[in-house]
Amino acid sequence: MTLKVIEEGAPTRGRAFLTSCIKNFLPAAPLLLIVGFFFLFPIARLIYVSFLSNENTFTIDNFVTATQEPYRTGFLNSIKIGLFSAAIAAFPGAIAAYFIETRGSSKLRRTIAVMSGVLANTGGIPLAFMFYAALGIQGQLTKILKFFGWDLYAGTFSLGSFMGLLVVYLYFQLPLMVIVFSPAIVSLRREWSEAARNLGASQLNYWIRIGIPLLFPSFIASFLLLFASGFSAYATANALTVGNLPLTPLQIGGLLDGNVSAAQLNLGKALGVVMILISACAVIPYLAIQRRSARWQK
Amino acid sequence: MRAKRLIAAASAAALTVGIVVIATPASAAVDICKAKNVTEAGGLDNLVKLAKKEGKLALITTPRDWANYGAIHDAYEKAFGVKITVDNPDGSSQYEIDTMKTAPKPKQPDSIDIGPLVVAQVSPPGGKPLTSPYQVINWKDIPAAAKDPSGLWYGNYGGKLAIVYNATLPVAPTKAADFAKAEYKGVVGITGDPTSSNQAFMSVLAASIGNGGSKNLSDVSKGLELFKAVKTQAPLVKVNSTNLVTGTAKLGFMWDFNALGVVPAAKAAGLDLKFVYPSDFVLQAPPYINAINAKSPNCANARLWQEFVYSQNKGKTAATMTAADLKLSGSKLFAIIQGGQNYFQQSGADPVMSAAMTKKKLLVPSLLDFQVPATAKVVGPATIADVLTAREQIISSWASL
Repeated sequence: MTLKVIEEGAPTRGRAFLTSCIKNFLPAAPLLLIVGFFFLFPIARLIYVSFLSNENTFTIDNFVTATQEPYRTGFLNSIKIGLFSAAIAAFPGAIAAYFIETRGSSKLRRTIAVMSGVLANTGGIPLAFMFYAALGIQGQLTKILKFFGWDLYAGTFSLGSFMGLLVVYLYFQLPLMVIVFSPAIVSLRREWSEAARNLGASQLNYWIRIGIPLLFPSFIASFLLLFASGFSAYATANALTVGNLPLTPLQIGGLLDGNVSAAQLNLGKALGVVMILISACAVIPYLAIQRRSARWQK
Repeated sequence: MRAKRLIAAASAAALTVGIVVIATPASAAVDICKAKNVTEAGGLDNLVKLAKKEGKLALITTPRDWANYGAIHDAYEKAFGVKITVDNPDGSSQYEIDTMKTAPKPKQPDSIDIGPLVVAQVSPPGGKPLTSPYQVINWKDIPAAAKDPSGLWYGNYGGKLAIVYNATLPVAPTKAADFAKAEYKGVVGITGDPTSSNQAFMSVLAASIGNGGSKNLSDVSKGLELFKAVKTQAPLVKVNSTNLVTGTAKLGFMWDFNALGVVPAAKAAGLDLKFVYPSDFVLQAPPYINAINAKSPNCANARLWQEFVYSQNKGKTAATMTAADLKLSGSKLFAIIQGGQNYFQQSGADPVMSAAMTKKKLLVPSLLDFQVPATAKVVGPATIADVLTAREQIISSWASL
């Protein structure tokens, strides 16, 4: 009898496994297909090509070159501008999101949401042009500041310098922070702070023991998103600089789309792979924090 | 067999009798996609006939406001009844190379126009060349240094670097060394990143000879020094039309042959831009390069385009061609319309055949309103070997200038 059950059970289990597979994965098939085709396949191809020489033989030379000058400075600058612009935008952005979501009227919330959406997506040449018109050497704001006695261009400031780019990047980083951090604020329930107060917690106690630990993973996630957006921005920097401020995305652009370079496409691809690695490294601490805090959120 | 022998005889005759045979109607056996000169294409009449039948010419990164290309496109379209499409007009030379390597057939260009620094990629050592060999009728008039002996690529037109400046500057600049003057602080720049833009690259060469640098142009350290001196006062700005119009950039080098497009556009935006050649040393840059794509979809137009671009003729433009002219046979029409080399000459660019054309008295006057001053010495054209050496120097030091 037992034997028979097993004999019959095996194919049934197999069929059940198949049905459950279909039930679980079929709805996700379009997504998996798109992710595979537009995400995994290009990355696999990028990694493959980055290990090829111009003669299509295997080599690690591209990666060796990628760690040398001027590409090393490029990476350092890109990481620096990603971190700085994210750090400067994250705190004010988070605080703004908090006040808008908790104190703002619904009309204000809607307006800010739409405005942030537009501003966070302003980039490229239009953004560069806007800043030239405002803060360029002939910009309107520059003239007003000069009238009040502050000559922006007295020193070595320029929109094409590191400081200049940082100012320009904040223009889209701040609204981006408001957008990505608002949902976390909304999920912070009013009942929790009331409950804490009923149990005798002060406002400060509530924030230190409940509010901040709950918001922390979302804050880090938002910060990393901002880092990635500053780290990889291309078009604006390309419009504002002439190659004196080495940034990895611009260097890749020069290698892939220049008039001067000597068939170094695969080096450009190796730089791209290193960029992916750096982004991946940034996500690992986030995953650790997320796992820890997932216990809270259940 | 017999047909083959006939063709052999015909081409042998063509070689000896030259122009007479060119006008003879060709046999139908012409394989236009393999034709390496006009004779193999069955003569100019036959080439024009085949090109008209195709009706299309696919170009790439040849913008209308660059080196008079707009007028060349118009003349070609009108004369031969061919529709020209230009893929990615403002794209780079690398884009052209990559398109030839990877694009699907409908996106393949017929003819390319690339910077001299990427020419090595056209025929990679040991690999299959990306271009088809072709030698235009006036092949011998292209200087030997500016062409591949088998016709895989050939120089086309070269620019000289002129100083472009905003007329509101307190003192008009006259030479490269002026860039570092304190009164220009913050408004001096370069057209792009010299490690990726050919024009910016050649600007560093021009700065070098203007700053007391070597005249053989394989050493551009003096040019880098000049830009470094500018940069220690204030970061370099990007000299492009937007920045010139907004007053962000007021001074830099630019190709002389783009003055005809840039100056009127700036005037329309209310800006008085001036072009002037340096008063001491003027750089004649190595020419841009033309070639036929090996995967060209319109083989006849790819070849007729070369003949037109390298035609030295003076004559009618798109505006002056009459209906009667357009009924003429290909070779007769060709003889009465202005050729590409003279369009480049009008733009202020130096057509690659200018030496031969000066001797034949075929050059038309340039339309530029500025000239090389009597005090100035024209240096160059730099050889490709020189600029490749200079490239190493620029790539290794520009980023950390």
